[in-house]
Amino acid sequence: MRRGGEGRSRLLLIILIVTALFLITLDLRGVGLLEGARQGTQTVLSPFQRAGSVVITPFKSFFSDVTHLGRTQNQIKKLREDNTKLRSKLIQRKNADSQLAQLKNILNLAGTAGYKIVNARVISQGSSQSFAQTVTIDSGANAGIKKNMTVLSEFGLAGVVKEVSPNSALISLATDPSFRIGIRIARSQQIGILSGRGNRSASLQLIDNLTSVKVGDVLLSRGSIANRPFVPGVPVGYVTAVDNSAGAIAQSATVHLYTDFSSLGVVAIVVGGTAVNPGDALVPSKPKPTPVPTVTIYVSPSPTPTK
Amino acid sequence: MMRQFSLALGQIIVVFIVQEAIVSQFRLPGGGFSLLLIFTLVWAVLSLPEIAALIGFISGLFMDLSQSSSGPIGHWTLLMIAACCCVAYLGSGNDSLSGNPLGFTFLTTSAVFFVELAFVATGALLGVGSGSFGQILITIIGISIWSLVVTPIFLPLFSHLHSITFNSRSVI
Repeated sequence: MRRGGEGRSRLLLIILIVTALFLITLDLRGVGLLEGARQGTQTVLSPFQRAGSVVITPFKSFFSDVTHLGRTQNQIKKLREDNTKLRSKLIQRKNADSQLAQLKNILNLAGTAGYKIVNARVISQGSSQSFAQTVTIDSGANAGIKKNMTVLSEFGLAGVVKEVSPNSALISLATDPSFRIGIRIARSQQIGILSGRGNRSASLQLIDNLTSVKVGDVLLSRGSIANRPFVPGVPVGYVTAVDNSAGAIAQSATVHLYTDFSSLGVVAIVVGGTAVNPGDALVPSKPKPTPVPTVTIYVSPSPTPTK
Repeated sequence: MMRQFSLALGQIIVVFIVQEAIVSQFRLPGGGFSLLLIFTLVWAVLSLPEIAALIGFISGLFMDLSQSSSGPIGHWTLLMIAACCCVAYLGSGNDSLSGNPLGFTFLTTSAVFFVELAFVATGALLGVGSGSFGQILITIIGISIWSLVVTPIFLPLFSHLHSITFNSRSVI
């Protein structure tokens, strides 16, 4: 009897493992049914994510504020003096203002280049358990968003549309380890490939071994055929370090991405690229150095010596 | 058996929705935690290996169906079956591990750590990019620390739900 029970549980385990392996094989072979299942799940989940986003907006930044407690000490002290109602209103207003500012900057960026865009709000951030860097937005196929469209933030490139459901879409961020984009150096017009590394710094690999890259070089997106997945001319980041290893075939460099992915609240999806390449029109202007006033002190000796 | 399966499935769906709609929204430092992963492992420790494998299979499938999952469908399923079986074997009959909250938390957190590590290793074999070594290390350690903090908080609730679902007397 006991033997039969053990045999049954062993059989169950084998069936489950074989099913899992079968699913992996089907997915790796690109069977559309499984991808449909993922999209269906997202369609079901998006109303919950939308509701969750509304409910937890006031507490969203709580943990990041805790980690920067020293910096926000004065702000916390000031907020304590306010009553609860005023505090809640202030947080909501701050959130709206920040999204408005991001939206204005995105519109400026897209307007300069002549991109046709659709704006969307970030409603969920992908879980880090799978090491993927993704966000979900509240617009999807119904707003004209399709797979492999460029996603902009207020500072430049944010990512690319990975999956689309009717009312939401999944964005693969430029920090995602699987993210690749062809770039052009604004100064020299040389080309290379930029790869995400899981954080705000990305790695650049130049294609031509005769070209060189310098610290501070601005990188722009190179653009794809029919503007998908990438429209040309979008600011991506700037070079912070150059690797000049003797054994390397071509130069590589570390790049700081312009977009602040930790505060991504509003994004724009480029649904229609411009007919004319915007060239370097979107290269961000360098910050102007603030003059430091010098103070000169004249000291004249007193006529009577001190005792 | 069918009633127990339906109840378990319903609870896994609820935890999955909470994870995707609420927990994922918090921008927690170090990668945050996965409520579904903790829930599944807690239930696996309390269950017999074959039940644990079945729970792992269902939870893994939901984790695979999440849009934020980077691997192929079936990747998390396979790992969760293996992980749940392992923790169920370790937990069954070992009261020092599964009988007290401290041992329970330690077992669950260790399981989270090794599952994440296994995900990276098998992901590399399947061609899934996981980022730089430093970033992987930070995420795995971050998720493990969060699990260590979160598991004792949810342990009474999860073990109570398990005892209701499977009519067992083992409540932590």
